[in-house]
Amino acid sequence: MAEKKSIGKEFTKGLIAENPVFRLVLGTCPTLAVSTSVSSAIGMGIAATAVLFCSNIVISALRKVIPQKVRIPAYIVIIASFVTIIQLLVKAFVPALDSALGVYLPLIVVNCIILGRAEAFASKNAVLASAVDGLGMGIGFTAALFLMSTVREILGSGTFLSGIKDLLAVFSGDIQFNGFTIPFLNENPLTIFVLAPGGFFVFGIMIALSNKLAERNGKPKAELNGCASCPMASSCALIADGKKCEEVDVK
Amino acid sequence: MKIALSLLLTAILTNNFILCKFLGICPFLGVSKKLNTAVGMSAAVIFVMVLATAVTYPINLLLKANSLEYLQTIVFILVIAALVQLVEIVLKKYMVSLYNALGIYLPLITTNCAVLGVVLLNIDNGYNFWQSIVYSLGGGIGFMVAMVMFAGVRERLEGCDIPKALQGLPITLVAASLVSMSFLGFAGLVDNMFA
Amino acid sequence: MKKFNLKEILIPTVSLFVICAVATALLGMTNSVTEEKIKEVAAASAAEARLRVCENAENFEEKTDKNGNVYFVAKDKDGKTVGFAVTTDDKSYGGKIEVMTGFSADGKITGVEILTIDDTPGLGMNAKKDSFRNEYLGKKGALTVSKSASADNEIQALTGATITSNAVTRCVNTATEICENALGGENNG
Repeated sequence: MAEKKSIGKEFTKGLIAENPVFRLVLGTCPTLAVSTSVSSAIGMGIAATAVLFCSNIVISALRKVIPQKVRIPAYIVIIASFVTIIQLLVKAFVPALDSALGVYLPLIVVNCIILGRAEAFASKNAVLASAVDGLGMGIGFTAALFLMSTVREILGSGTFLSGIKDLLAVFSGDIQFNGFTIPFLNENPLTIFVLAPGGFFVFGIMIALSNKLAERNGKPKAELNGCASCPMASSCALIADGKKCEEVDVK
Repeated sequence: MKIALSLLLTAILTNNFILCKFLGICPFLGVSKKLNTAVGMSAAVIFVMVLATAVTYPINLLLKANSLEYLQTIVFILVIAALVQLVEIVLKKYMVSLYNALGIYLPLITTNCAVLGVVLLNIDNGYNFWQSIVYSLGGGIGFMVAMVMFAGVRERLEGCDIPKALQGLPITLVAASLVSMSFLGFAGLVDNMFA
Repeated sequence: MKKFNLKEILIPTVSLFVICAVATALLGMTNSVTEEKIKEVAAASAAEARLRVCENAENFEEKTDKNGNVYFVAKDKDGKTVGFAVTTDDKSYGGKIEVMTGFSADGKITGVEILTIDDTPGLGMNAKKDSFRNEYLGKKGALTVSKSASADNEIQALTGATITSNAVTRCVNTATEICENALGGENNG
């Protein structure tokens, strides 16, 4: 970090300018997998944000203690611990979310956003800035999931926020609100949108829209420079000589 | 035998890891531009998936015996990371030609959700040791099938006249959507073959 | 690297070990807090599902038949058998599906609950809808799935989710077998 940004800027950059999903193209697996319903998308967003926030704080606090050589395994241990803590809490208090997210809940461990932020930001910045960065990135991730899932749920199931009751039950069991049903679409849902092809399609269109917006503001397009943002980049032989994954020719 | 075959076909076609389960999207989008890199990457994934399953299965029994199942996530990711490193060192030292073909992809695989995913799914689905191995093998082969097919699609996309906003990543995703749609056609296959 | 550099190996090892130890301790603590709660939640949801499939039952008695299948005998408040609740699963097509089926004392289906469904979110989820589950009510014996159910032992498939319909029906049929065995046992013994 050459220039010091203000705390406010660290927070807001994750929302739009450096949105982890639409701009940095990180965490694509959970984005596609859990965006079939708004409730599970929000649940996943909150869980990942909590992990990102906590792991950023701890990694930043320990950045001078962790030896350079073993930093990646150390980060993985720290992140995996927080994921497990969240997993246990979700199982105990929001069991409906646990069954909705299934295997994708423990898979937060390998969400590139989290390891990516640890390596790119928390390992180089102070605790407060890292905490704010984690929170901003997490909320950006949640917002992206929310957008994706809104489109997919409304078109694909004809509902909005269906199943939200089970999430809200954490605060109070008396909440009866359980989302809206969209007339017409509910009887004739375009099921393809909640299936895998719909996921890829909506994501593609979202990236195209965000590219269009970025272009208008004179920002570069979102590209999958897989390797530059890949948390394993530093230990990857592929880019040792400054190439991108895709450009490497294997004999 | 019937179970093994149905598991294998399920993992390759009906429940393809990339196209149906969204596991391993990063390499799918990132390393599928050229056919030979796609093949190399997927070969490494098959290898690590099967190896990781073979190693984590007994570890899970150990955890279960001591009712420490809650440590699954953390133990498995560490075991996979260590395993990948170990394989890399061994290959580099003793099998240089194999290392040149696969080794360079190994570090990328540590944080590949398909590997951790297959290990966790095996346990969730309650497979025994051999079923787990077969399922992982199928998952890996399915990964390769998707990668190779998609590499072919992407090579065709080059030089196409594409609307400006869709150029690059968006059109890749739309193409992925179409490939994934074709895999929906396999949905009833395994079910009806073994019914 | 001829000389073994102790410091270079020791410091990373020790620091990684300390991090792992602290992490495991933290997880152990969290687990001790949540373990009971998780078990409670699982037990409560199972009990709730049993009550939903056997409506006029007061309590349930767990039994195991000679094939090792676990089933629950529903009793009313006088201790009379009013039905059965059986949980069965099916994972032949990869994704796992777990169904609880309730039967009346004469072996008719009184309720079907989808407990877990590991299908592509979306399609299979429709199986949880009442309109589909109600198709099973009052039926008896082995059932088959068809596109347009007309006969008594036919279930109309969910639109676009024939596979899931088949899987649920297989679960129900397995449950029916277990229930029939149990009924036979009750009558003989």
